Amino acid sequence: MTVLRLSGQRKHVGWRKRAAALAAAALVAGVLTGCGAAGSKEGAAAPSVEGRVETVTLRAITIGGPTERYRFDNLKDAAERLNQELEKEGDRVRVRLEGQHVDRPWDQYKQQFILAAEAGKAPDIILSGHEDVAPWSAAGYIVPLDQYVRGKPVYDDIFPTLWKSVTLDGKIWAIPQDVEARPLFYWKSQLKQLGWSDEQIRTLPDRILKGEFTLDDVLSTAKQLQDKGIVPAGQGFWTRPQPGPDFYMFYLAFGGQLQDPSTGKLVLDKQALLKEYEFFARASQELGVMRPSLLGTDWSIWHRTVSEKKVGFFVGGSWQVAVWKDQYGLSDEGMQDLGYALLPAGERGHPGVTLSHPLVYMVTAQSKHPDLAARLILEATAPELNARHAVASNHLAIMRSELQNADYKGDKLLNDVAYMVEHAGFLPLHGQFGNYDQAVYRGLSAVIAGQQKPQQAVDVVVRQLQSQLRDQVIIR
Amino acid sequence: MSPRRRRGQATRSTRPHAGGDRRPARSGRLALLFLLPFALVVFVFFVVPVVLTLLMSLTDVSVATGLGGFRWIGLDNYRRILGDPSAGLVLRNTFFYVGTTLVLFNVGLALVLALATSLVPERWGGLFRAAWLLPRITPSVVYVLVWKYMAAEPPYGVINQALGWLGIDSTQNWLYAKPWAMVIAINGLVGASMGMIIFSAAIRAIPREQLVAAHVDGAGSWSLIRHIVLPQLRWPALFVAAYQTLSLLASYEYILLATNGGPGYDTTEVWALYAFHTALSNYFGNAQFGLGAALATVLVLIGVAASVLYLRFFNFRTMTGGPRIEAA
Repeated sequence: MTVLRLSGQRKHVGWRKRAAALAAAALVAGVLTGCGAAGSKEGAAAPSVEGRVETVTLRAITIGGPTERYRFDNLKDAAERLNQELEKEGDRVRVRLEGQHVDRPWDQYKQQFILAAEAGKAPDIILSGHEDVAPWSAAGYIVPLDQYVRGKPVYDDIFPTLWKSVTLDGKIWAIPQDVEARPLFYWKSQLKQLGWSDEQIRTLPDRILKGEFTLDDVLSTAKQLQDKGIVPAGQGFWTRPQPGPDFYMFYLAFGGQLQDPSTGKLVLDKQALLKEYEFFARASQELGVMRPSLLGTDWSIWHRTVSEKKVGFFVGGSWQVAVWKDQYGLSDEGMQDLGYALLPAGERGHPGVTLSHPLVYMVTAQSKHPDLAARLILEATAPELNARHAVASNHLAIMRSELQNADYKGDKLLNDVAYMVEHAGFLPLHGQFGNYDQAVYRGLSAVIAGQQKPQQAVDVVVRQLQSQLRDQVIIR
Repeated sequence: MSPRRRRGQATRSTRPHAGGDRRPARSGRLALLFLLPFALVVFVFFVVPVVLTLLMSLTDVSVATGLGGFRWIGLDNYRRILGDPSAGLVLRNTFFYVGTTLVLFNVGLALVLALATSLVPERWGGLFRAAWLLPRITPSVVYVLVWKYMAAEPPYGVINQALGWLGIDSTQNWLYAKPWAMVIAINGLVGASMGMIIFSAAIRAIPREQLVAAHVDGAGSWSLIRHIVLPQLRWPALFVAAYQTLSLLASYEYILLATNGGPGYDTTEVWALYAFHTALSNYFGNAQFGLGAALATVLVLIGVAASVLYLRFFNFRTMTGGPRIEAA
């Protein structure tokens, strides 16, 4: 018995020792692994010395489809230009660019960046929407770039209105990368089938600009297209199928305001929102020219349907024309048949509207070489580099000298829609705009699906904004 | 009874089995040692996240504040939830989704599948059960993508094409025309497999003599199922119902991929998805971690309440007690 107990005790002590040894080993391994990880990260960011030349590795991530690959590739080419500049200056630092151009939903992309930033693993450069300047600067994820930008030739070359879209509290937080128009598209051949004369078709963009053709006229024409069997039921008029800036064009078209210029607070104009919701209720529920299930449709199905001329009027982005040509087989003949104009005003006599959503490069606060990152972006903001991106992806010029680029001048679509930027609104720079948007989009979804009447939806949105945003929103 | 006497009693009761007294103590410590890694896992992956979530729910932490710039705001997030016009609808959606999926698929269909595969030769039954597990091992994105293309409008959707062959003209996208039916089917067809396996194992554990004796006494298939099989599936049914309730309460990935809570105003938005949308997914960037944490805390409370209800309703202690015949 004693022997047994003793051996048992020995075993017990052995277990404790082993457990303690295991825990210690795990701790040591953890510490070593942690050190290793930190060391490798440092190694990636710190200059590596080869002879007299030190190489600094910068990481960038950009988003977009294949036609928008120059958002990243321009940075790669800019690295070569920057290295030449550094050599001329006698600097022994050289830049190498790593990272990737990803094609994924925006919310996932932003989520990935936020989590990486919180984990201390943000890249040096990120491309995103200009509206992210507000929350990301408040959180300390990005750094102001005034010292790198002001006084440089590119500062005067970029259209001043674009600098406004990235300026908050008097500081420049980002460098514009591209800008676009969001036209109302239509097929000229379909209007011809409806009995429109060539003159009527040709002058439609001008009539919209002058306020002679309104949003109501879009719906009634869409209904005629359906009634004559030119397009299937529910496909007379389509918006984009997912959340996005386009919907604020309708709010602006009905006289809405997004931000109070004096206080910087967000604004919800109840009358404008009601008119917008009533317009969509008429389209989806009363006239049936828009499918009540449109919001949520897969992007690939949406692109295929509109580019195959199965929809009468549709609202999209100028960059989507490149997608239709590149991925959905839109031919040159199809391009000639494609018409585009400003989104008509809600009321007669007012000019049409569009909305620009500049995408911008930002330098993160975790970059160990913000000066080199900023210089790299400025090198990428060269007229010839940006023009090739604009032509390949059907985005508009962001700087004056880009307009002189031969390829840019030779692109009919870009020249045709260039005037729209003068009628463009921007999304507000406000930290709570994401939450404002969620409420407004939910209300719109309910109206289009027929779940709520427009007035009901407005009331719910108002209550939601008052509950969530409180004094950050002005309800008018 | 004096304290001294109580000590004496204790000594008397243990002294004759002194060796036996120490062995349980040692084995108890050994058992604790064995349990330590699992206790650590529970602590690190459940207790710590719940405590952190609870703490975060008392702050205004969001993308705009970063993890370093938040303020303590007490119960303000909970007050916001109470004033949120969507909260009531989302809560109703959650109960509807969990209840319907559970009854129709995770327990109902699972039971039917287990019985059906037990009535056929084992070789075929096993094959069928293996095939039914395929959606579970298919990546969620691929599985839901298949459903999306099944449900899509003509000419892309398989369901509409099949209806066309039957002479039924349909142009709707079924994911938007019947969102709840689709969401429940998408989740349920995957969820039913777990119950099917557990019920099948329980059916196979029923002594064959009982079935043969009942058969000899003239019982038909339905009587066998009703009077012998089903009563012995009460414990597995409780386990499956309780486990799947908690699982369904927290699950949202198939709904996210299929409808993203739509179409329209929060039609298929459930509480877990609402918490995800609030805390981690925002098209224009400012996700609200604190408010999302408060929503997640409410979900934890609902889960705890559901667990307590199950334990009370099904008399868990009696069912997990030792066999009465041997105890007697």
